[in-house]
Amino acid sequence: MSSSQVLLFVIVGKNEPLYEAEFHKSGSAGSSDSVTRQNYFVLHSALDLVEKAAWTTNQMYLKVVDKVNQQQVSTFLTAGNIKFMLLHGGRSEDSIKNFFNDVYELYVKLSMNPFYRYDTPITSKSFDSRVRAVARRYLA
Amino acid sequence: MSKSTAAANGHSLWQKMPKANAELFALTYGTLVTELVRDYESTEDINEQLEKMGYSIGVRCVDEFLAKADQAGMVIPPCRAFAETAEVMAKTGFRMFLGVSAEVQMISDSSFSLLIYENPLSLFVELPSDPKWKDLKYSNLYCGILRGSLEQVNLRVECTFVKDVLQGDDVNEIRVDLKEVLVDGAGEEYQEE
Repeated sequence: MSSSQVLLFVIVGKNEPLYEAEFHKSGSAGSSDSVTRQNYFVLHSALDLVEKAAWTTNQMYLKVVDKVNQQQVSTFLTAGNIKFMLLHGGRSEDSIKNFFNDVYELYVKLSMNPFYRYDTPITSKSFDSRVRAVARRYLA
Repeated sequence: MSKSTAAANGHSLWQKMPKANAELFALTYGTLVTELVRDYESTEDINEQLEKMGYSIGVRCVDEFLAKADQAGMVIPPCRAFAETAEVMAKTGFRMFLGVSAEVQMISDSSFSLLIYENPLSLFVELPSDPKWKDLKYSNLYCGILRGSLEQVNLRVECTFVKDVLQGDDVNEIRVDLKEVLVDGAGEEYQEE
């Protein structure tokens, strides 16, 4: 079970995760349960490091904040302190940066929807399908 | 009034109007609707409130329309048929106030459908997938505006939203039915728009 096959993308708000998506490389089988739970654990435990890293730069893109075994956690911090976190097994900085920028645009459009309350879980199906399309484009 | 004159008039009137930021406009309307959603339980009540607000806006629109047209030196002659009214409203009126043109599809002598392809009110809006929102007419304000403005020119109409892009259709369609031609209390001459 190579963990570079699975990418975990989570959007974390002030109190809780707002959106989660797993991207599997095409052709590979889904991960077993324990690996999935471990992925979530690794990603969420990196949250403290995100806070630390946020003070070191004035960029929104924080690059890699944590490395565990073969996995790395990259983060993008939005202007409203919403954290986009990606757990991956080594991808080029550029492709992750582009991925985050595109997801940020989608997120901004979503937040302009009057029916979406800021900092609440994201349930929109079209947002989900668009994020997956962006992931396929930059991270496949 | 021919279709092309109506469209040309609409375009030139629109250019003279003060403009607002489209995003601000859409977001303001969006918060208005969400406030209504918080205040009222049923979608029917919300639709009704939007229509009432539109009515208040509509009664003021006609005077502004005719005044601005006059100022611009345009002649908007009294309409000879309901179809003309529909054309003037769709091509000139809508264009002047919203910047988008609507299309008219006559259904009969006393009813027509207004097709709006671009709706400036619903920029960025996506309705939640809960089935209770299926009846929400997000842009019901338009129905009220049409009713209010036509009432000022002595046409009592009923407007309803038939198709809504936010609900999944490909175009916004408002059905307008003429119920009664009202007679002015004072004076024998009455203007039909």
